[in-house]
Amino acid sequence: MRRFNGRRFFACTPSKPVDDCKTGTETIRAMPHSANSNEPLVKIRGLRFFRGDRPIFDGVDIDIPRGSITAIMGPSGTGKTTLLKLIGGQLRPQAGTIHVDGQDVHRLALRDLYKLRMRMGMLFQSGALLTDINVYENVAYPLREHTRLPQSMIRKLVLMKLEAVGLRGARDLMPAELSGGMARRVALARAIALDPMMIMYDEPFTGQDPISMGVLAQLIRRLNSASSLTSMVVSHDVHETAEIADITYVIANGEVVASGPSKEVLNSDCPWVRQFMRGEADGPVPLHFPTKRSLEEDILGEAHRKTGTCR
Amino acid sequence: MPLMESLAQLGRIGLGIFERLGRGHLLLAHILAGLGPLAVRPRLLIIQIHSVGVLSLLIITVSGLFVGMVLALQGHYTLSQFGAEDSLGIMVAAALVRELGPVVTALLFAGRAGSALTAEIGLMKATEQLSGLEMMAVDPVKRVLTPRFLAGLISMPLLAAIFSMVGVLGGHFVGIGLLGVDEGAYWSQMQAKIDLHEDIYNGVIKSLVFGFVCTWIALFQGYDATPTSEGVSRATTRTVVHSALAVLGLDFVLTALMFGD
Repeated sequence: MRRFNGRRFFACTPSKPVDDCKTGTETIRAMPHSANSNEPLVKIRGLRFFRGDRPIFDGVDIDIPRGSITAIMGPSGTGKTTLLKLIGGQLRPQAGTIHVDGQDVHRLALRDLYKLRMRMGMLFQSGALLTDINVYENVAYPLREHTRLPQSMIRKLVLMKLEAVGLRGARDLMPAELSGGMARRVALARAIALDPMMIMYDEPFTGQDPISMGVLAQLIRRLNSASSLTSMVVSHDVHETAEIADITYVIANGEVVASGPSKEVLNSDCPWVRQFMRGEADGPVPLHFPTKRSLEEDILGEAHRKTGTCR
Repeated sequence: MPLMESLAQLGRIGLGIFERLGRGHLLLAHILAGLGPLAVRPRLLIIQIHSVGVLSLLIITVSGLFVGMVLALQGHYTLSQFGAEDSLGIMVAAALVRELGPVVTALLFAGRAGSALTAEIGLMKATEQLSGLEMMAVDPVKRVLTPRFLAGLISMPLLAAIFSMVGVLGGHFVGIGLLGVDEGAYWSQMQAKIDLHEDIYNGVIKSLVFGFVCTWIALFQGYDATPTSEGVSRATTRTVVHSALAVLGLDFVLTALMFGD
């Protein structure tokens, strides 16, 4: 179903009764050389994750091909950030497997998980910069923690990473002095400090002005190609994300409702996807959070139960 | 049915308490496991001793001074009834070294440093800094919590000693300067009667225990806080309340063990 070297993708996963979903094909751009370049970098199979009784993922299969930018989209509360935390091993699923570069994330010993995380960068929605140290020290932090490089080398690397995100001049500022967009760019510089094989972006465009959004989108695209990275962008900013992503997955109701080349997903006829892409308030993804009691029961209470009907 | 519901509710509360206790002990084990790696990075510890200990000095010294002065006033009033004003020095020193030094320091520590620790860790959690460390392959417990724990453990006995010392000076100021007690008697009685093992060592043990418990509670509450502004606020309040109750309860137990016949 999800073959990447075969260059065959699909536009909508009909795990739900969606009859009008069509299969599409597209060639994705060249992937970097890798020992396992045939295998996707991240392979998720049968993922099930619940919060209490509420299913967040119920049998999700996702592949993130090497060298691609893959967008994970979906309405708020569908578990996009949770998915990143599951991939990073910060959360444990109830069932299913997540392989990153051939390693089962949730079967790794803690030491091995940390080794794997050193090859995975993550850009948090808030930036997650350490607030008690300045920009320079934030970017230098992973280098100081995980390498024994001399200070002069660390300085060069930090300045190069800051230059890559356009903030070399802001190295002495404290995180509280940065705008939201700048904080994310600093966090991006920190995420690439150890030259990871992949970066996960958690809502990188949320709350950004159009210029910051454009800068971030360009940075993600540029870094991905310049550093031969694999990128996962979790977002509900449809157009900005679809513009830079090679492949898009749309998640709703705990399942992947559509996936494939971004352009095809963007123009999909699938009702799930159409609702999300066009920003319709109600549709297959319901407006209302699920509840066991009807509106009449909630509002009329005892009176409704006695009469048994709503007049 | 209401009875069954009440019982079920009681059971849930009990389970919740035991679950939190279990999480607290697991966190403590994790914190203690980080003590070894901390030895090669003493700078982390020094920064935290400054934050937890040095920055608490002002409140500790001012409080110690006033507590010593009040002790001298109250002690003089009582002792003078029996013509034993010369024993003021021993009374002030024993009360401070055995009880008030460790206990009041711990209560002040919980209010000043403990609440700050909880708020700091809770906010780090709320702003995803702890998650960020995890994803940078850095263990946030060993990197953030362990230095703070050890700093609290080291700072508390030192702060309690400073509290007692300043309190004795405050007692001296009131007793000798204002109430006319003989200075030689004040110091010599204190020197003769305060025992190194019985009084000072036991006081140090108490403050070590209080330092351990207060810092543990503060760190656990911060680490376990719901990552919202309300959650951090509630966790900070819990730190002060739980620490105060733990200090007073443990003080009774320790006093009974140390000085009870």
